[in-house]
Amino acid sequence: MKCGLSLDVRDIDETTINIDPIQVGGRLTADAMKAVIAYGDGYSVCDNCRKPNRLDMIKSPPIDAFHRDLAAFVNMDEARVVPGARRAFQAVAGTYIEKGDPVLLTALSHYTEFLSVEAYGGVPLEIQKSSEHIITADAAGEKIDSVKREYGRPPKLLYVDHFDYQFGNEHEVKGIIKVAKQNDIPVLYNGAYTVGIMPVDGRDLGADFVVGSAHKSMASPAPSGVLAVTKECAEEVFRTTKAQADLTKRTFGIKEVEMMGCTLMGVTLVGMMASFPHVRERVKHWDCHLSNGRMIVDALLAIDGTTVKSEYPRKHTLTRIDTTGSFDTVARTHKKRGFFLTSALKEKGISGTIPGATKVWKFNTYGMTDAQARYTAKAFQDIALQSGLHVLQ
Amino acid sequence: MSKRAVDSVFQAMFLLTDLRVILRDTAPVHELDESRQAMVARTLAELEEQVKVIRKEMVG
Repeated sequence: MKCGLSLDVRDIDETTINIDPIQVGGRLTADAMKAVIAYGDGYSVCDNCRKPNRLDMIKSPPIDAFHRDLAAFVNMDEARVVPGARRAFQAVAGTYIEKGDPVLLTALSHYTEFLSVEAYGGVPLEIQKSSEHIITADAAGEKIDSVKREYGRPPKLLYVDHFDYQFGNEHEVKGIIKVAKQNDIPVLYNGAYTVGIMPVDGRDLGADFVVGSAHKSMASPAPSGVLAVTKECAEEVFRTTKAQADLTKRTFGIKEVEMMGCTLMGVTLVGMMASFPHVRERVKHWDCHLSNGRMIVDALLAIDGTTVKSEYPRKHTLTRIDTTGSFDTVARTHKKRGFFLTSALKEKGISGTIPGATKVWKFNTYGMTDAQARYTAKAFQDIALQSGLHVLQ
Repeated sequence: MSKRAVDSVFQAMFLLTDLRVILRDTAPVHELDESRQAMVARTLAELEEQVKVIRKEMVG
């Protein structure tokens, strides 16, 4: 089936259980799908934009109230919607980083965090991870001390991911932020894998900036995200334009420089807004999603030779698994080689793994119903048994 | 064209969206329990009503 002339209908989530590590938290709610139908046209949220002509001040649809709700959702003072978490990193970096400034990231930081530092001439420096792939407060303290010795000043900014994208491990964010505060370093909390799927309290954490990815974890179309900040930082990051054109003498109202004026002006924003009541509710049920994820991880670990690379017991539904000692032993002699596992999963209606991967790979179980979780756990074990592997009962 | 037709077109698409979500929640085997079957039946009945309105307003 086609959408128009050339685009195939994408029905992966209607026909399979999708375990793609980055896709599951961004799947739309029914209300978001309906909003997408109604607001698909370009500048669809701008019908009632009135002076002072700024996205976060539009009252119909209630975008102004949504911004206040977003800030409250993560317990910060002000929020803006942005085209993905990366644009939030960029806005913060653009505000604070100057050429040659040392900026702290971690050994598990996402590449977009590095790019945001690079874009403004900052020097990205990593906090080392532990042998268990955890970023600790102690390691952060040591790195801060090291930077102070080398640069004669503390890092200009520190980015920390609550859960990282590689292992889905939880890092010592509260302790890291505490250490940073003791050194007067503002902290950007990267909640790409938390905001929208589990409760996040930015004020309690002590963060200056809370960044969320709406298309990753808030059931929204891409690119969308949120940048929430403290009142003090809002004046800096959301500063308004002071430019005046030399010839025409035009000025540009109260457009915000780092936001490049308005940000999400159509389907992305209404998708976020339509999903938001459901997102606000679903974070209260994080334990249920985690429980399903743990059941599937345990089912995999029962397959002889399988180990988990992520921390265990799991604290997130994103998991890095090592099947070198199980499924990969089958792949070595299978006629489909490494593709046998993808193929077997596909036959059982499970999608989202990297084609051909049988050694170390990632999956995310977020959003499954209980029945789908049980089905997935059994499917992995059935494939193992059918492949001659031993499964512990 | 009447506002009634416009409303019914949107409503019909929204009802179909509800069915789409049921397909997602029950993938890959799509075995619907009694509760979901009842929900589908209600949704289809409402959809048929919307189609009737669309036919009346747009075809005559």
